[in-house]
Parts: sequence; C-alpha cells; structure tokens
Amino acid sequence: MTSIDTPGVAASDGSPRLVRDVVCGFCGLGCDDLEIEVSGRAVRARGTVCPEAAKLFLRRGEEPDRSASRAGEACSQDDAASAARDILAAARSPLIAGLGADIDGGRAIVDLAATFGGVLDHSASVGLFRNFAATQRTGWLASTLAEVRNRCDVLLVVGDDPTSAFGRLFERLYPADPLFAKSRRVIFLGAAPGERALKQLDGVAVSHLPASDPVAALEALNGLVAGRRITGETIGGVPLPALADTAAALQGAAYAVATWNAAEFAEGDLVAERVTALIDALNVTTRAGVFPLGGRDNIIGINQLLLWRLGYPLRTAIRGGVSAHDPDLFAAANAVKDADVLVWVSAFRPEPPPASLVEDFAGKIIVLGHPDTPFDRDPDVFIPVGTPGIDHAGTVFRMDSIVSLPLGALRVATLPGVAEAVRRIAGAVA
Amino acid sequence: MRLRLKGGRVLDPANGENGVASGATRDIEVEDGRIVAASDARADEEIDLGGDVVMAGGIDLHSHIAGGKMNLARLLMQEDRRAYPELTGAFCGCGGGRAVPTAHATGCRYAELGYTTVFEPAMLGANARGAHLEMADIPNLDTGAYLVLGNDDYILRLLAAGAGQEQINAYVGWMIEATQAFAVKIVNPGGINAFKFNARWMNLDEANPHYEVTPRKVLTTLIRAVTELGVPHPIHLHGCNLGVPGNEETTLATIRAAEGRRLHLTHLQFHSYGTEGDRKFSSAAARIAELVNASPNISVDVGQVMFGQTVTASADYMSQYRNRGLASPKKSIGMDIELDAACGVVPFEYRDKSFVNALQWAIGLELFLLVEDPWRIFLTTDHPNGGPFTTYPHLIRLLMDRDFRNAQLATLNKAAQAHTMLGEIRREYSLEEIAILTRAAPARILGLKDKGHLGAGGVGDVVVYREDADREAMFSKARYVFKNGRMIVKDGEIVDLARGTTHVLRPAYDRSSIEGDMQRWFDDAIGLKANHFRIADGELRGGAGPTILTCEGEGL
Repeated sequence: MTSIDTPGVAASDGSPRLVRDVVCGFCGLGCDDLEIEVSGRAVRARGTVCPEAAKLFLRRGEEPDRSASRAGEACSQDDAASAARDILAAARSPLIAGLGADIDGGRAIVDLAATFGGVLDHSASVGLFRNFAATQRTGWLASTLAEVRNRCDVLLVVGDDPTSAFGRLFERLYPADPLFAKSRRVIFLGAAPGERALKQLDGVAVSHLPASDPVAALEALNGLVAGRRITGETIGGVPLPALADTAAALQGAAYAVATWNAAEFAEGDLVAERVTALIDALNVTTRAGVFPLGGRDNIIGINQLLLWRLGYPLRTAIRGGVSAHDPDLFAAANAVKDADVLVWVSAFRPEPPPASLVEDFAGKIIVLGHPDTPFDRDPDVFIPVGTPGIDHAGTVFRMDSIVSLPLGALRVATLPGVAEAVRRIAGAVA
Repeated sequence: MRLRLKGGRVLDPANGENGVASGATRDIEVEDGRIVAASDARADEEIDLGGDVVMAGGIDLHSHIAGGKMNLARLLMQEDRRAYPELTGAFCGCGGGRAVPTAHATGCRYAELGYTTVFEPAMLGANARGAHLEMADIPNLDTGAYLVLGNDDYILRLLAAGAGQEQINAYVGWMIEATQAFAVKIVNPGGINAFKFNARWMNLDEANPHYEVTPRKVLTTLIRAVTELGVPHPIHLHGCNLGVPGNEETTLATIRAAEGRRLHLTHLQFHSYGTEGDRKFSSAAARIAELVNASPNISVDVGQVMFGQTVTASADYMSQYRNRGLASPKKSIGMDIELDAACGVVPFEYRDKSFVNALQWAIGLELFLLVEDPWRIFLTTDHPNGGPFTTYPHLIRLLMDRDFRNAQLATLNKAAQAHTMLGEIRREYSLEEIAILTRAAPARILGLKDKGHLGAGGVGDVVVYREDADREAMFSKARYVFKNGRMIVKDGEIVDLARGTTHVLRPAYDRSSIEGDMQRWFDDAIGLKANHFRIADGELRGGAGPTILTCEGEGL
C-alpha cells in the first residue's frame, strides 16, 4: 500500500493508498484527522472514525454510477439539466430545500434562486432556528471548540447524550493535556451518557442528573445562580440538592460551558433561551459560554453564505429580485404548501426529500442528490452529484460558525458537484 | 482596450498635481487596466469630462466589511436589513442593509462614492477562510485584511517563556502567509485574552493574569516583528481601554511606547477621552493631536461617530462586554474564539441629544482638524462601529465647510457644545487634502505603489466628481468610476460589476524554525491540523487567487 498525506493525489500504480488527515464534512464537528483507504473507486475509512463517518465515507466502488433520470427513465446529465430548467422556468413558486452542499454549491444555488425565485431552507434548520429564537431576541455569549477544549472546567450537557449524533465530541473536547483547565467535570442534565461517551470521558468527573423536564431544571438552575430561594424536592425530575450542587459548580468554575442539540427537543427554543440566560448570569462573576451543537451537512456554511449574500439567514425567499425572511413562513414544511416545484439538494448523504414534505405535494420534484438516494416515488428529474470531500474539493463550516475547513477530493470525480450541476441547470437562461 | 478621459482637472497629490488649484485640464488614459501616458493613439472609449475633478479610486484602510463578526451582526440586526431593502435595478437584486450591508451592497455603495479598495481591519486567523470567502463575493472592490495577533495563546505563551524576537518573527510570518493577510492588527493587546481569564480591565502595564505579560510587551514585540519582517503597513493598533473616560493617558503612553518606531493608531476618537467636567467625560483631542503632530512615526485614523442607528462589531470582547448594557436595541453577542481572539457585537444608536454621543462626534472632528499632517490621518468611521461608510460624504462636508459644521454643532446637546472647542477651530479641509486622506496617504501607508495616484503604471481605478460647493452632494455620487479601466458607475449609479482582487502580503521568514512547532500546537491545543488552517491561494476570489506583495525583512 502506498501511504500519502495529500488528498487528491492518486497513486500512479493503482494500488490501494492511505490518505491521512482527511477532513470530514458530515456532522459539523469538523474532525480533520481521518485515515481513508482509497483503491480505485473504492473508499473506506480506517482507524479512529465515528460510525457515521465510516458509513458515509464508504464506497464499495463495484457498481457503475447511477445515471441521471427523468421520471425514473435514465437520461444524460444534459437532458436532465434541460428538463430541470424547463420545470423551473415554468414554476411560480419553487422551494429549494435540503441544501446539503459545500459553499461553492451554495453559491450556485443562491444564484439559481435569484434567477428563478424560490424559498431557501436546509434539511437541518429546525435546531438552528430554535437557537435563533433565543439569539435574535437577546443575543448570547458563546465559545468555540478550542476554547472548550482547553478552558472548560465544568461542562453542562443538556438533553440526550450528544455522542450519537456527534460521534467524537467528547474526544475532541477532552484532550489529555488541556492548557488551562485545572479540573474537568461534565454534568449530564437529561439522559445518561452512553458507553462511547464515557470512554471518551476517561479521567473526567462525570455526573448525571436524570432530568425529565430539562427546561424546568434549567429554570431552577437560573434561580439558584441568581440567589433565589427554590423550593420542592425535585424539579424537572432532578433532586433539588443535585441542582444546587450543579449551580455551585457552575458558579465556581473558571470557565463554564453549556451545550445542547436544539434539534432533539420540541421545546429546543426554551432550552436555548434558559441556557443563554444561565450563561449570561454566570458571566457577571466568572467566565462562561454556550456551545450549541448542530451543523450537519454544512448547514452553518450555507447559513453564513446566505447572511453575507442576502443579509438574511436560511428560510429566506427571493422573489422579483428582493429577498424576504420569515422563520416560520419560509420553513420548508410550511413553504411547501405554497410551492409548485421542489428542488431537493443532498450531496452529503443518500437522503431523499422527507415524506413530510412530499407526501401531499402535487408539484414537480427535482433532486440533486447522492447517487445512492432511494426513492419511494421517482422524482421528475434526478441528477446524481458527487460528494464533497470524496469526489470534490470544497469548503464547509464547522458548527461554531467561525472555523471553516477545506475538503479534499479522494478520487477522480465521475459525477458533477452541486455547483456544476446547478450551473448547468441555470446555464442556458438568458 | 484604451480609455481616454478628456479634459479633467486632475487632483493627484501623490504626484504633486493639483488641477483644481491651477485650473489646468488634461487627459487621463487607461490601457488594459493600467494608467498610461496620454497619447494620440485611437481610443476604444473616449469621454469628455468638461473640467470635472479626476482622482484615483478611493482607498479605505479600515472598514469592517467581511468575517464572522459581520455575519453575527447581520443575524442579530435583521432590523437593519429590513429597513434597507434591495435597490431597484438590474445590478442590485442581491442584498441591502446599511450598518451591515450584504457583500453585494457593500461593493455597490462603496463604488458609488468613488471607492475601489477597502481593507477589512480585523480578520481572525480562526475565521480567515470565511472572511476570504465573503470578500470574494464583494463586487467592484479590491480588498485585503489585517490579521489580529497579540491575544492568541500561542504568542502569549512564547512571550511568557521569554522567546527570542526571531521566533516571534517566524510565527508572525507563518501566520500572515497561512491566513492570506496583508498586515497585522492588534486589538486591546492581551486584553481579549485576559478577559478569558476573567480580567475585566487591562492597562498598558498591567500583567495578564495567566501569562504575566503586559500589553506594552505585546505591542513592542509585534512592532519589532513587523518592522524586521519588512511589513509595509505598521502595526495597526486598537489600543487598551476603548471607550473608557480617561483613556487619554493610556493613548499618550501607547504613542510613547512605540519609541519612535512606526505605529498606526486606529479609531483614535474612541481613545481620546478625558475625565474633566461635571460628567467626568471630556475631550482629550487637543493633547493627543499635539503628541501625534510631534511624532512623525505615528499615523492615525479617526473612527468618527455619525448619528443614527448602527451596530458595533469588534474583536474586543472585553470592551464590548463592558458596553453591552448600552446596547440599543437591547441585545448583544459575544464569543471567545479558538485560543485566538474573540468578538463582541453590540447594536448602538448614536444620538445627537446625548451628551456623550455628541461629545464623541465633536472629539472626532477635533482630531481631524487638529492633526496637521494630512498624510498621517485617514478618513474613517470604523464602519460600522462609529457609523456606516455611506456617511462619508456628510463627514467630508463637515471637514470642508466650517459654517455647515458649526450649524450642525449648534443643534447638538447643549452641555456637549460647552465641552468642545470645535466651534473655534477655523480650519477647513481643501479638496487636495481630502484626496490625500482618501487616496494618496492610504496607498502610501499600505505600501500599494500602483494605487492612490494617477501616474503612468498606476492601476486604472479612476474616479470623476462634478465639482459642487455642497461637498456632501459632490462626494455622494461620483459622476464616473472606472475599475481597472472599466466603467462601473455613471452619474452615481452602478452600471456594471467588476470582480476585484484581494491584496495579500508574503513576508520572508524562517520556515524551518517554526513549521514543526505550529503543527504540534494545532494538533495538541487547537484540535485542528495546521495544514487545514492554512489557506491556499486557489481558495481566494473564486479560484483567481490573490494579488501578492512580497516583502524582505532585515537580515534575511
């Protein structure tokens, strides 16, 4: 086996090669130390890798690429692009959703929306907008990965064990030798940490408060930090003494951090708001930050792009050369009710448009997707696209919205990337 | 492609030409994007200027136009975007906003004023890739960015360990190259870092609670580093104690701390406050201007406050956290970032009836009028922190028209009027001085030899203004703007979009001494590979890459 460090450089003799320091763009955590074995068209992760990355990097390389299609009938990429263009040209109100694309793909999508009009929303935006409900009202005080990694001495994890969605989170947050944290404690407020989390938290003091109602428990923590008298034996399922101990630990911390994944709670906006208030209160006397989890399929990058291009986050409509933003009206689940065409983009994973979007949808559907995307009902146009970080180089943002990472290409692309496929659709428009 | 602009009054202070004073007119020719000597050759396009004033494209050396903090500001201040929707017309269907305009609107509004080059003055290394992605989407402007250093744990760790200057220089060189930066900015030297250790204040000689390094040490070490690396622009300093009454002493001490080496003090207005009077807030502009006048190594930009709603965005989380109680509307964002720096975003409304805001306005103008050398002072509002850049024409009129200025002053908070000497200052800027402040001087201090002037070999960024006694009207809408010889503005309206370039600096530095240590630092502390932190040339400007200025330091 050849071993090289530079992604995108093929071994000349065609033998399997090991590519080191591969960047993973799937969950938003931004691991960039993966080892990937590439052999011809086959791609496989080796060594330290989370289950999701192992699954999403895997390419057996045996079958030919799936062809583009119209209503399930194979056609050329050009014919598919032309059919998509005809559909969009006749559309009154397109919804462009999914948006699983790298930054350059996102740029092409925004241009497409500017040309044909359309509502823009990402498949993972539910959690993001629960957080924005808090951010846009009061703002918040936040932290990023390297700060948590080195400074955080007390971490409050609200909700479920995040390891299932962010497989290496605690490994990334808890290196063997942090620069500043003198002690390390993690308090799970919600579900108990699983085995994988505990393994990554080796050497860290872990406690678990089995909150059945995290919002109520957070309210009590806010009260305790504010010095209010709280009564009751348990609050939100947590014994009051345990909450008091947690409040004291947070106040006594040199750098406290609270983390949660708003996508997992129906009341995620309330969790975000209560955590924001808690961190705000802690900063009066010590230092603290929120560290919200999320960031799947470059949602943060696409959101950033929209902010600088359109001045609005996701859930924005472009019509007649003017953008408008409405976090409810232009959420895909609502916008689909007024849409006559759905364009679904999902380059990172074989994910068809969700049933909730398409089951009652009578309009035309165009999918730019992973070649393995399964469909219950064939879309009107399907354009298979390559995966950023496997077939194409590109840029994705990490969940903290500050750091962005360069994805490399691991093999020669046989499919267009999202940017190319979208520009091909828009191409012939005068 | 040859463009001939016929019969303009050329105002080109860099080359000592003042057609406005002499009344002489001449032709300007641009061939394939560059200014050439006037000729008889057939031109592809010829425009009769009829004696209009011709200047080089404007250069703003300090305006926050890209990077994560601007996107946080956009997210927080959707009100700003809603209040300023897209302009009609084929070229402005993509964005709006005033305090934090979109990339597209930034490029268009600047071009209408006659600016063709703008520098983002606070790019964090951790966010550099994002800032470059955003700059690539700004039309009509060339851009560049100053890298924020001096609060990063890497350099503070080196200083605490007593590292030699050579090691610091290698680090600075590595970082400038890796982040595709053009110069080095220090924001509240060491203070942002100290806030992470819960310090709430930081004076010039106060030790960092963890590293025991002082802001003075950070400042003097980095001044030496850019000097020895040969970085054309001096250290671009946002000093300690921004916005704090009495910070005049810190500012004066900071100027002296440079010990004769070149140093640029940015948004000086926010650092020129005394504590005299009933309200313990007063102007220190005269004292500070006096020392600036006596210190030829010092340059400044003002950061003028302009009344109205804006949003302040700064890497100085320590100061922004302190000021967040003043937020209007009441919301703000703060963020500690990547062992690197931080940011704070606080919406703000400067009110003419507020004593403090009115005095801030007056202090800024006092500085403009009391600093004597127009080559060492630059026209900025620290966009958007003191006010949006679209207020520049109004600011120019304030500088050029004493009656207008005093009439404005008379409408402000009465107590503030009593606390400023502004009404007694007779100075009025000339057009030539405005051309120096906004063109010739920024090009010179940035080391951009082919910009800011209209001599042969210069970049074909040419602006034509129709002279108007109302200087605000004159500078609000350029008659023509040419970017690399291509018309992008006519009669104050955008008529075309040009793709700009990004200026980056490539210093020579000792790679061998630093590369291995940077890789270890990123692996162990940051949790990111140094190779992924580093930005490739092809990542800039949609694959077009940067415009590179190389520099050779001393002893390399």
